[in-house]
Amino acid sequence: MSGGLVWTLVALGLAVVVVRRRSVAVALVTVQALALTAFALHDAADTDELVAAGALGLRALLLASLLLVLVARTRETRPVRARISPLARGGAAIAFALALTWLVPEIGLASRDAERAVLALVAFGIATAALRRATLFQILGIVLVENGLALSALELPGGASLAIELGVALDLLLVALVASVFHERIFAEFGAGDTAALRTLRD
Amino acid sequence: MISRATLAIAVPAAPALVVVLVVLVPGRLVTLVARIAAVPTAVLAVMLAIEAMRAPGDPVVGDWLVVDVAGGLLVGVIGLVGLASVLVSQTSLDRARTSLVSPERRDRVYYAVLYAFWAILLAVPLAGNLGGAWLLVAATTAASALLVGFSGTGRALEAGWKYLVLTSLGLGVALLGIVVLAAGVPDGGLGALSWRALSGHASSDGALVAYLLLLAGLAAKIGWAPVHNWLPDAHSEAPPAVSALLSAALLPAVLLVAWRSEQTLAPVIGARTAETVLVAFGLASLAVAIPFLWRSLPWKRLLAYSSLEHMGVIALGIGFASPLALAGVAVHIVGHAIAKALGFYAAGPLLAVEPHAADRPATGLARGNPVLGTSMGVSLAALAGLPPSPLFVSEVLIVAGGFQAGRPWAAAATALLLALGFLGLAHALLETTGGRRRRRVADVAGLGTLGALASVSVVLLLALAAAAVWLPGSDLVDALAKGVS
Repeated sequence: MSGGLVWTLVALGLAVVVVRRRSVAVALVTVQALALTAFALHDAADTDELVAAGALGLRALLLASLLLVLVARTRETRPVRARISPLARGGAAIAFALALTWLVPEIGLASRDAERAVLALVAFGIATAALRRATLFQILGIVLVENGLALSALELPGGASLAIELGVALDLLLVALVASVFHERIFAEFGAGDTAALRTLRD
Repeated sequence: MISRATLAIAVPAAPALVVVLVVLVPGRLVTLVARIAAVPTAVLAVMLAIEAMRAPGDPVVGDWLVVDVAGGLLVGVIGLVGLASVLVSQTSLDRARTSLVSPERRDRVYYAVLYAFWAILLAVPLAGNLGGAWLLVAATTAASALLVGFSGTGRALEAGWKYLVLTSLGLGVALLGIVVLAAGVPDGGLGALSWRALSGHASSDGALVAYLLLLAGLAAKIGWAPVHNWLPDAHSEAPPAVSALLSAALLPAVLLVAWRSEQTLAPVIGARTAETVLVAFGLASLAVAIPFLWRSLPWKRLLAYSSLEHMGVIALGIGFASPLALAGVAVHIVGHAIAKALGFYAAGPLLAVEPHAADRPATGLARGNPVLGTSMGVSLAALAGLPPSPLFVSEVLIVAGGFQAGRPWAAAATALLLALGFLGLAHALLETTGGRRRRRVADVAGLGTLGALASVSVVLLLALAAAAVWLPGSDLVDALAKGVS
């Protein structure tokens, strides 16, 4: 995978950490997954790799549809504000990604750039889930992590792993379906998909 | 005679079939079908457990399927806890005022998801492949999150949401570990990630990073400190039958995946290094749990922190890896499951007679309601490790196993933390059963079933305590030490 594409994927991931609107963030993770699909199709050498690319593309489209329907069904009068400003979120996410790439030695992917990109996407996903209050953004944090894992599966030395792509696709769709049930119910119960309302259970 | 492989396929297939049945039968038959079908599922699971233990030195180890002593033990535990959970579910369902789904579909959806969760749980210990095991563990998240939030209350939604997000992120990190392992395998493919093939293929360069990522990710699902934040909330807000399955079945089933990963990768990264990571998780979990066991907590939250403590104890036993410690691990998994499940089943009637017990400690129940008080007392006494509880024997074995393994400092710290935990739970036991009674406790539905479950639990706990003395030095412990590689 070219360095340009790899870093475009990372930039899309970072944008999810900082953008305000839910629909924009859904579009960003979908473009990211579709870019991965295009690369996977371009590089597919056998049927297994074609199926892996197909699974990746199908889950990108299904997930985008599900998340956009959720956005439409849970219209907010005003967006849930994150506790931290976009600049601070972006800075924290970049610092976490740099720390992770510094801590984790070579993991055996096709290039070091790809390894750094995978670790950055995992870091951005965790940062999104930790720093955003909106429930939908926390789902998108999980999607970012899984997009990073999809990239790692494509960059395995022996080519794309069908098993990992299918596993990621299936797991992500299941989790997104359950999360969407919770998101809608939380919205109905508290009037907003805001995790700030979910802070009653403490010892 | 049914082969172990056939039985291993039938065990998760039976509850999976019941999911279809529960979806298709008329509404008035849903509960009846669910209850009746639980019996053959549990019988199959116990049959497989017995078969696995009859020939401990000759496990079935394939690319996709494993039937060994550790897996058999877990399957037996999951089968029995699943059966009891199905039997006590309806009382809690009838008491619930709200649910995540409409009242007409409530029972059908609950039993379908419960059986799906049970089927996946039964498959986890039988997965012969790290990739397959990860996929099954990930699938348990979706099913169990729905069950945690099933009552649809604000608190249940909070607990279910935390559980879903934290464990999904954790499993993402674990999958990154699997990808790192896959990168070191020459010909790739899921078959290369089978337990028996993995140690031969894994390269030493990436194996340590992979192992650390894998365990850090699985720790979030097992509920090991410091990534245990979801555990007290999910255990306290789920329906009691689901809390029992989470604590007694899910946590040790995922722990088995961590254990097999350790056994498989130990030859590549070094046994001492691999075991030290588990000892560190174990000590951290005990240290974090103890202060909470000393506090006056609502019943289910107290049990949840006790789960954190006991998962730590099991991690320590696996990390010590000596014959005595492994004998202790086997006893601890079974004893904890029986005692903890009974404690959670008691929570159903408890919340019916004392709704405030969701927010404050229950006291003086033995005087107010002997069946309820005795059930909770048996559970707490066993969990505290009060002799003749099998957990007393298992904890002694694990501490002795720590010294046997040449880890005197870790063993001594374990003994000290366990003693502190015992004091905390002993105080809770006195308060719960003999403390000041707030008001008269009336009889409620479900007490008969609870009394029967308590009687069976006492018999099983005493039998286990007797068997625990015989276990060290047996073929079963040799098989546990050998693992599946």
